[in-house]
Amino acid sequence: MKFYVCIKMVPDVNAPLQIKDGQLIQDADRMILNAYDASAVEEALVLKEKHGGEVEVVCIGSAKASETIRKALAMGADKATHIQTTSDEQYDSGSYARILAKFFEDKDYDVLSLGKQSQDTDSGLTGSMVAELLELPYATNAVGLEAEEGKLIVKRQGDSGQEMIELPTPCAVTCSNDMNEPRIPNLKGIMASKRKPVEQIELSALGLSDDELTPNTSVKGYEEKPGREPGKKFEGEPDEIAREVAQLLDTEANVL
Amino acid sequence: MSTILTHIAISDGKIKRSSLEVLSHCKKLAESDGHSVEAVIIDEKASSFVDGVKKYGASKIYTIEDPIFKNHMNTPLLRALAKVMETANPSVFAFASTEGTKDILGALAANQDASVLPDVSSFELADGGITAKRPVMAAKIIANTEAKGDKVLVSVRSGSYDLVESETDAEVVNIDFSMDDNDLKATLKEIISASGDTIDLNEAEAIVAAGRGVKDEEGQNLISELASVLNAGIGASRALTEAGVYDPSLQIGQTGKVVSPQLYIAVGISGAIQHVAGMANSKVIVAVNKDPDAPIFEVADYGIVGDLYKVLPPFIEEIKKIKN
Ligand SMILES: Cc1cc2nc3c(=O)[nH]c(=O)nc-3n(C[C@H](O)[C@H](O)[C@H](O)COP(=O)(O)OP(=O)(O)OC[C@H]3O[C@@H](n4cnc5c(N)ncnc54)[C@H](O)[C@@H]3O)c2cc1C
Ligand SMILES: Nc1ncnc2c1ncn2[C@@H]1O[C@H](COP(=O)(O)O)[C@@H](O)[C@H]1O
Repeated sequence: MKFYVCIKMVPDVNAPLQIKDGQLIQDADRMILNAYDASAVEEALVLKEKHGGEVEVVCIGSAKASETIRKALAMGADKATHIQTTSDEQYDSGSYARILAKFFEDKDYDVLSLGKQSQDTDSGLTGSMVAELLELPYATNAVGLEAEEGKLIVKRQGDSGQEMIELPTPCAVTCSNDMNEPRIPNLKGIMASKRKPVEQIELSALGLSDDELTPNTSVKGYEEKPGREPGKKFEGEPDEIAREVAQLLDTEANVL
Repeated sequence: MSTILTHIAISDGKIKRSSLEVLSHCKKLAESDGHSVEAVIIDEKASSFVDGVKKYGASKIYTIEDPIFKNHMNTPLLRALAKVMETANPSVFAFASTEGTKDILGALAANQDASVLPDVSSFELADGGITAKRPVMAAKIIANTEAKGDKVLVSVRSGSYDLVESETDAEVVNIDFSMDDNDLKATLKEIISASGDTIDLNEAEAIVAAGRGVKDEEGQNLISELASVLNAGIGASRALTEAGVYDPSLQIGQTGKVVSPQLYIAVGISGAIQHVAGMANSKVIVAVNKDPDAPIFEVADYGIVGDLYKVLPPFIEEIKKIKN
C-alpha cells in the first residue's frame, strides 16, 4: 500500500507562553511534530511492515519544518516532500487543505493519512476538507486501522461508541493518538534518515491562485482565559478532610 | 435580513442538549439583529423531534427523514446538509461540536465553499461574517478569531450557552432526500457501543473522573459508588482509557471529550494540560490526589491531599448522609 502521511510542525503546548498586547509570545525553537501526525506515521509504518508498500510524508512549512520531516523519516518513513513556504504564514485549515489537494491531484496512492487535529489549534478540519476536495471516501478520528486488498478498515471513535468502517481505496483517514504509541527514533533510524530523499517544492510552483491561498479565517489576537477563583487545599486526617469537603460542597458550593 | 440555521443533533433517540444551547444563542443573536433563526433535524425519525425544537424559537424547522440516518455516516449526512444549505441559504450555520459534527464540518465547508470556525466557546455576528472565541494551545489561552464570507459554519462547545425557551409556531418543511446505496462511499460494518445506559458526559450535571491513581478493582468500585450517590457520569483520564480500564468514549481532555458539568471530581489524576483542557470549564472542581504538588490542584476549588483509598470511603458516606 502506498501511504501519504500529512505532517505538520506545531508549537509545543507544554512550552511556557506569554501574551503581550494580544500577541502570543513563545520560544520559536520549541516546535514539534504534531502528536496526532506522529500516530498517523506510526500506523502507516505498522501497516507497511505487515503488508509491504511505501510511506511518504508531506509537510507544508518554512525551512525550519525540515526538522519535523527528519523526525518522521527517522521513525521509518521512506521519503518526504517538503512544500516550502517563505515563513510560517497564518494559513488556516482551508488554505492548507487546498494546497494539499492540489499537490495530491495527480498522485497515485492508496491511503492519505492525516492527524485528527493540530495540537495547537485543535481545528480538526483539514482531513475532511482534503477528502472532499479530492472526492475521496474518508473516516475521521480513527483509533485503529487494518488493511485488506483494496480496502482500509477503520475503527473510529464516535460520540458514544466505536464504529467499524470499510473504505475502498484510495481513501483518506484522520488519526487519533489513541491509535498507538509512536516509536521513538533510534540511532540507526536517525542515521538512515539523513540519506532518505526529501523533495523540495516551492509553494508557488503548485500554481494556486491568491484566492485559493488566502485564508477565510484569521486570529485577531490572544487573551488569557477568565481566571478561576483560587481554590482551597485540605491536608490532614483523611476522614476529617473528606467529610469537611463533602459538607462544603453542600453548604458553600451548593452542588449536592 | 439573513438566516441563521442551527443543526439539531439527535443521539440515542434524544435531542442533544448542546444543540438546543446553540439554538438558544442563535435565537438571541437573530432577535437583536433582525435575522431569522431556523433549525434542521436530520434523522431516521426527524419529525418526531419537531415539538422539542419548537420550544426554542426557530421560525422554520427543516426535517430530512430517511432510514439511512439511523447511524452516523458521513457521506449521507454531508449530502443532506449540503441540500439544506442550498434550500435555506443561511449566512451562518451553527452546530453543536459533537464527534458527528467534527466528522463532517471541514468537508461541508469545502463542499459549500464556506468559511468555518470549529469548536468555539462563543460567537457573535459581525460585519461580513462572525467573530468567535476559541480555546487554543491545549485550552491554555483564548484566540479571538474571525471568519469572513457570505456562508459561515461554526461549531460550539457544549455548555457554552444556557437553554432559553421561547415557544414559536414554527413552519415545518420536509426536504426530500434519497440516496442510492451505490453512492455510499464507505460502509459501516459494526458499532461497538459503550455499555448501554451510560450518562452522556456532555450533559451530565456531575462527573467523577478516574486517573492512574485508581489502581485496581477496589478503586474502580469506589469510583462507581461515588458516581452512583451523586448520580454522576463516570469519566477517565487517558491513562485509564489507554489501559482499557474504562471505555475510550469516557476519555476527558484534548483527545477525548470537553465537558462542563456543575461538579467535576478528579480522583488520582495528575492534571496534565491535555486533561485539564477538557474539564477546566466545570463549575466546581474537586481533586483527590496524594501528591500535594500535583498540577490538578491549580484548577481545583476543593483540593483534598490524600490517598484516594482512605479519602473516598468517608467522602461517600458523608455525601450519602447529606443526601438523605
Ligand atoms: C496530544 C495529546 C493529547 C492528550 N489527550 C488527553 C486527553 O484527552 N485526556 C487525558 O486525560 N490525557 C490526555 N493526554 C495525556 C496526558 O498528557 C497525561 O499523560 C494523562 O492525562 C495522565 O493521566 P493521569 O493523570 O491519570 O496519570 P498520571 O499523570 O500518571 O497521574 C496519576 C496521579 O495519581 C496520583 N495518585 C497515585 N496514587 C494515588 C492514590 N492512592 N491516591 C491519590 N492519588 C494517587 C498521583 O499522585 C498522580 O498525580 C494527551 C497527551 C497528548 C500528547
Ligand atoms: N502545514 C501542513 N502540512 C502538512 N499537513 C498539514 C498541515 N496543516 C495541517 N495538516 C494536516 O492536517 C491535520 C490537522 O488539521 P487541522 O486541525 O485542521 O489543522 C494535521 O494533523 C496534518 O495531518
